[in-house]
Amino acid sequence: MARLLLSREWLRRNMTTVGPMVAAIAIIAGFQVINPFFLSYQGITTLVYAMSYFLIAACGLTFVIMTGSFDFSVPSVLKLAALLCVLYIDKLGFLVIPLALLISVGFGFINGLFVAKFNVPSFMATLGVSVVVEGIALYLSKGFLHMMYDETFRALATTFIAGLPSIFYWAMGIWIISTFIAMCMPFGRHTYAVGGNPIGARLSGINVERHRIYVFMLSSFFAGLAGVLYMAQLGGGSMLIGADMPIPLFASVVAGGTALTGGVGGPHRTLLGVIIITWIQAGMLMLAIGRDTQMVIFGLIALGVAIATIDRRRIKIIK
Amino acid sequence: MKILGRNRLITPVIIQTLKAHPVILALIALVVMFSGLYPERFLTPLNFSTILRQLVTLTLFALGPSIIVVTGSLDLSYVGIWMLGGILVWLLMPILGMFSILVIPLLGLATGLLIGVIQVKGKIPSFILTLSLLVTYWGLTATLSGGYPKPVRGYEFITAPLIPYLPTAFLWSIPIITAAVFIMNRTRIGTYLYAIGSNEEGVQLAGINVDKYKILAFTLSGLFTGIGSIILFPHLGSAAPVELLLDNVVWPLVAIVLGGTPLVGGSGGPQRTILGALTVAVVWRGLLLSLLQPEAIKLLVGLLLIVSIVVGARGLKGVTIT
Repeated sequence: MARLLLSREWLRRNMTTVGPMVAAIAIIAGFQVINPFFLSYQGITTLVYAMSYFLIAACGLTFVIMTGSFDFSVPSVLKLAALLCVLYIDKLGFLVIPLALLISVGFGFINGLFVAKFNVPSFMATLGVSVVVEGIALYLSKGFLHMMYDETFRALATTFIAGLPSIFYWAMGIWIISTFIAMCMPFGRHTYAVGGNPIGARLSGINVERHRIYVFMLSSFFAGLAGVLYMAQLGGGSMLIGADMPIPLFASVVAGGTALTGGVGGPHRTLLGVIIITWIQAGMLMLAIGRDTQMVIFGLIALGVAIATIDRRRIKIIK
Repeated sequence: MKILGRNRLITPVIIQTLKAHPVILALIALVVMFSGLYPERFLTPLNFSTILRQLVTLTLFALGPSIIVVTGSLDLSYVGIWMLGGILVWLLMPILGMFSILVIPLLGLATGLLIGVIQVKGKIPSFILTLSLLVTYWGLTATLSGGYPKPVRGYEFITAPLIPYLPTAFLWSIPIITAAVFIMNRTRIGTYLYAIGSNEEGVQLAGINVDKYKILAFTLSGLFTGIGSIILFPHLGSAAPVELLLDNVVWPLVAIVLGGTPLVGGSGGPQRTILGALTVAVVWRGLLLSLLQPEAIKLLVGLLLIVSIVVGARGLKGVTIT
């Protein structure tokens, strides 16, 4: 009896770890039963392609959600970075990559400035910035589909090493770095502190406003990097890049166990969330379930994980 | 002597009004600017009628959400209600005939109630809740319609022209706006909603059932969006759309914020949203008539959005989740 209680207690305490793992295993097993192609070599390549750029972007968003804010502009910044690469690679060569990353970080800085200095709710601020970013992307690309002809650029993401495309190793590298930042560096501890208790963080000497700006810059940097690599993976693109991304991206971070309330979770958890969400997406595509039905499913998943993860003891009033 | 006294009264009243609604100044400046730059295109009856049409669209979309913004939350589900409602009308047309348009307010009511209950009981930030619901409704609309817009015939009489250059939809929206303004300014519900927006904890301590009134606010918002969508449906082409445009989601929000309802809640309200919607409509038409590239227009209106958000968020303190 005591053991049972103990195990239940253990389960309740570790629900945010056990839940996503069970979900991930159930999803993989389920799709494998329905479609034996799912875990074949080519199937796995598809899954890896689907999750890699997503994981990079999600790692950045995780830091923002850890501070209790939200970054709506990640898909837009990703789109702009990707389009910058394809539009200016002929003129600038590989200098276009630092340029795209710099511009991305610039928009992150603007996001952070609005949120931290002007006290604009992060959702509204990043929504506004994303409208501007979309406007710039449309202005530069004129709404056309642009193809990437530079094979060296494409090799950034599509070189196969040990049977897997190189974008997978990029994503894993970013994931390990993010986890290291969150776990072992002052930056990570400050992020948890700002999300958990901003007033306490300020009193203990953390410059909360500056830290919020840094977090938004990091998020946009990862979004830009994901955009560059995604362009290398796709070999071309238009305004449609990242158009369906906002809800699945949000769902993948929250499904991993980083609650919207902030202060808990972390990039190490996001890997599982990304696997769950992107593999559901890929599995549904393999089963020829359309984009419209996927949207219904992801909307409901986002709602479900938000309800499941939010920490109700810590908040009295929620708007 | 009498005239002098009147003058003394009029000037402070004007100053007071301008102080309370700074957007009026911006509106006048914009109208003067566009009229000065290209009077032959801007100062035409057709253009003003188009501005009114745009005003109707923005106001009817923004009316419900502005009630929610007064309480300090956000409601993005309005476009979803309009889209899903349109496709439900198309689906129910063979069964219910002309009465099928009534499904839109019912859907709005149900959606508002659902959002309210989930928000209050589940304690989810309202923006992510309504955003998820919006995407779900979008997906449902596209799934039900098979991916193509479905035209519905028979409701054109709602917006049939009565007075030249005055859109009939504008006449229809007047009673709806009046009802919303009346509820927010002349009833106890409105007073409580303003109170919840300015100090929710205080309202709770005063013994008012905050949860009940928050659910009521979301239900009202959904209902107003639903009723507005009856007019918007023929107004926007009598067809159920299948593609969600970010502009449709963003512009009513801009109208709310620009009108002077701060995102923190507690002040403003539907009556101000009309002013904001008028400003947005004038900007939109003015830029369209400027013969700039469409991409450049999109960029400019994005900048307007940011400015209005920053202005609208003045004095926002201590809000952690938004």
